[in-house]
Amino acid sequence: MGKVKNWHVGREIEYPYAESRPKKQWAIVFDLNKCIACQTCTLACKTTWTSGKGQEYMFWNNVETKPWGGFPLAWDLRILEKLGRQEWSAKGEYGGKTLIEAAPQNERVLHFAPQDEDWMYPNVGEDDCAGAPVDGGGHIGALPHDKWFFYLPRTCAHCTYPACLAACPRKAIYKRPEDGIVLIDQSRCKGYGECVRACPYKKSMYNPYTRTSEKCVGCYPAVEQGIQPQCVVNCIGKIRVMGFINPPWSAREDNPIDYLVHKKQIALPYYPQLGLEPNIYYIPPIHADREYLHQMFGPLVDGAIQRYRELPNDPVAQGLLCLMGSTDRIMHRFTVDKGVAAGFDDAGAELVRVPVTENIFERPAFDAKYGAIRNNTP
Amino acid sequence: MRTLFVGAALSLAALSCGKSKPPPPAPLKELVVKKVAADLTVPDPSAAFWNDIPAGVVTLLAQPMIAPRPEKTTTESVLVQAVHDGTRVAFRLRWKDPEISEAGRLGMFSDAFALEFPAADGPPPPVMMGAKGMPVHLFHWRAQYQRDAEKGKPTMEQLYPHMSVDMYPHEYKTADAGAKEHAEQYSPGLAEGNPQSYVKAGVDEIIAEGFSTSSVREGNGSAGRGAWANGEWTLVIVRPLAIAGGSTLKAGTPGNIAFAAWQGGQGEVGSRKCVTMAWTPVTIQ
Repeated sequence: MGKVKNWHVGREIEYPYAESRPKKQWAIVFDLNKCIACQTCTLACKTTWTSGKGQEYMFWNNVETKPWGGFPLAWDLRILEKLGRQEWSAKGEYGGKTLIEAAPQNERVLHFAPQDEDWMYPNVGEDDCAGAPVDGGGHIGALPHDKWFFYLPRTCAHCTYPACLAACPRKAIYKRPEDGIVLIDQSRCKGYGECVRACPYKKSMYNPYTRTSEKCVGCYPAVEQGIQPQCVVNCIGKIRVMGFINPPWSAREDNPIDYLVHKKQIALPYYPQLGLEPNIYYIPPIHADREYLHQMFGPLVDGAIQRYRELPNDPVAQGLLCLMGSTDRIMHRFTVDKGVAAGFDDAGAELVRVPVTENIFERPAFDAKYGAIRNNTP
Repeated sequence: MRTLFVGAALSLAALSCGKSKPPPPAPLKELVVKKVAADLTVPDPSAAFWNDIPAGVVTLLAQPMIAPRPEKTTTESVLVQAVHDGTRVAFRLRWKDPEISEAGRLGMFSDAFALEFPAADGPPPPVMMGAKGMPVHLFHWRAQYQRDAEKGKPTMEQLYPHMSVDMYPHEYKTADAGAKEHAEQYSPGLAEGNPQSYVKAGVDEIIAEGFSTSSVREGNGSAGRGAWANGEWTLVIVRPLAIAGGSTLKAGTPGNIAFAAWQGGQGEVGSRKCVTMAWTPVTIQ
């Protein structure tokens, strides 16, 4: 067992393989303030990748309602319960144990094994509200509301230190050096299910028809062509952007992902305390229960929410948020200049150009030329 | 009269001794494989000739070398017999397992058994999966594969009778629907030719050079047949005596064998297994 650098938890952690960061690291940033759980991402993924036999209840991308939803059932509570209470300083250095550090003697990773029934209710808890119960006298009478929920879209996080990869006794799982995408070799997997147990985010899934485990492939055929994954390009709320993240010591301010995660620090990894350096990042929902957000995103969540609230004073960040969902191509660089945001590919070619503030045209309700009242009915 | 009585008692004792259960088999120090006239082409765990073949016991322990490991030893011992017919070697193996497990749904694993042989000349390889340059040849039987061969690979409808599914795109009625290559696009394991995803005959032949390296290879016509009754598996694995590019076992030369058992009902799969901790010498007479 060696030591590897994990910047999410601000310290070195134990991992069975040496540190070997990919040349580029696949990453998605989600703005949770915008997600409406329309599940278009889920269906885009499903129809692209998992419509075969043995994949009937398999959702590599899912959207669940927090805190009550979870696919598979209560995946988050169950792994947190196993890990137990751990300490985390307000500055971001995690003093507790990661899942690999907390592994029992006979195991590679602290885990729980989801059962068949746990995968059968992908929409459990949908839209269920948390906070004081309404039938117990609770009501919305003050701000901030004590009733809350938010939607959490999830894909595989293509972790820098994947638990699935660490747990596979056949070394059938590998992380691609060119883009950091984590794949299960479908010619080598023997369906032991170790990755299904080990991934705390439960993004390895068992296919009983092929008798192998399968997982989100990061839409690598698209990524290889400079195109963002299906769940990203089909997001009608434009809440997502996929790109490549650098670790903080080599972050570039003009890289869209680096800007949101490192420069502005408004996007955070979820459950970083599990120690895998997951590469999906969330702009936290500003109205959700803060204690819950601390548990999910760690102590840096307060600052992230504060900075998100200040975005109206930040034309560059505003411009970048306008670029989210404005191109199917992967943006390697962006600029915001004179109220116009632009995204560029890895060769420097311009992919898209959008105004930070859309022009507003006012159309009088009465059309004098035709002498008619206008209405918006098509 | 007194002498006569004692003599009668002695012969009675001798008679009753012959009819009561035989003494417990001794630990297997060396597996001596005698030639028999029987037909070994089809493995038969209840063939009569096995009753005349001496049996020895090997002791297994929960695999101790590499995580994940089982927490306790589930299969403590295996009763081993072996015969050959000049071209094939057959091994009969008996071990206690309280239930039949044939895998299928998520989290269900198969009962299984494996024989291991050195696959290169020279000093014997490390008994646990060999090492780089010191390969081992494994004959891996699974109850799941046997079920496939006898009853067909279970369909999704058999595995999940109450599952709700609208349609599978590859079965949709279009001109090219139903083509094998078309259907396999939707099943990555099949499309990649993973032996795991196909219907099995019972025994996989595997070559390994250390932990995490085992790979299923083209078989040499080995076969297996297990029968479960009263909390015990009786399994026969038959393999060719001489194999090119694999197990170096041959008649008249000292060889080695090792054993592993998986109880699927106890969640054993992969490295979660019980194994013999050393090679057992084997001689083909």
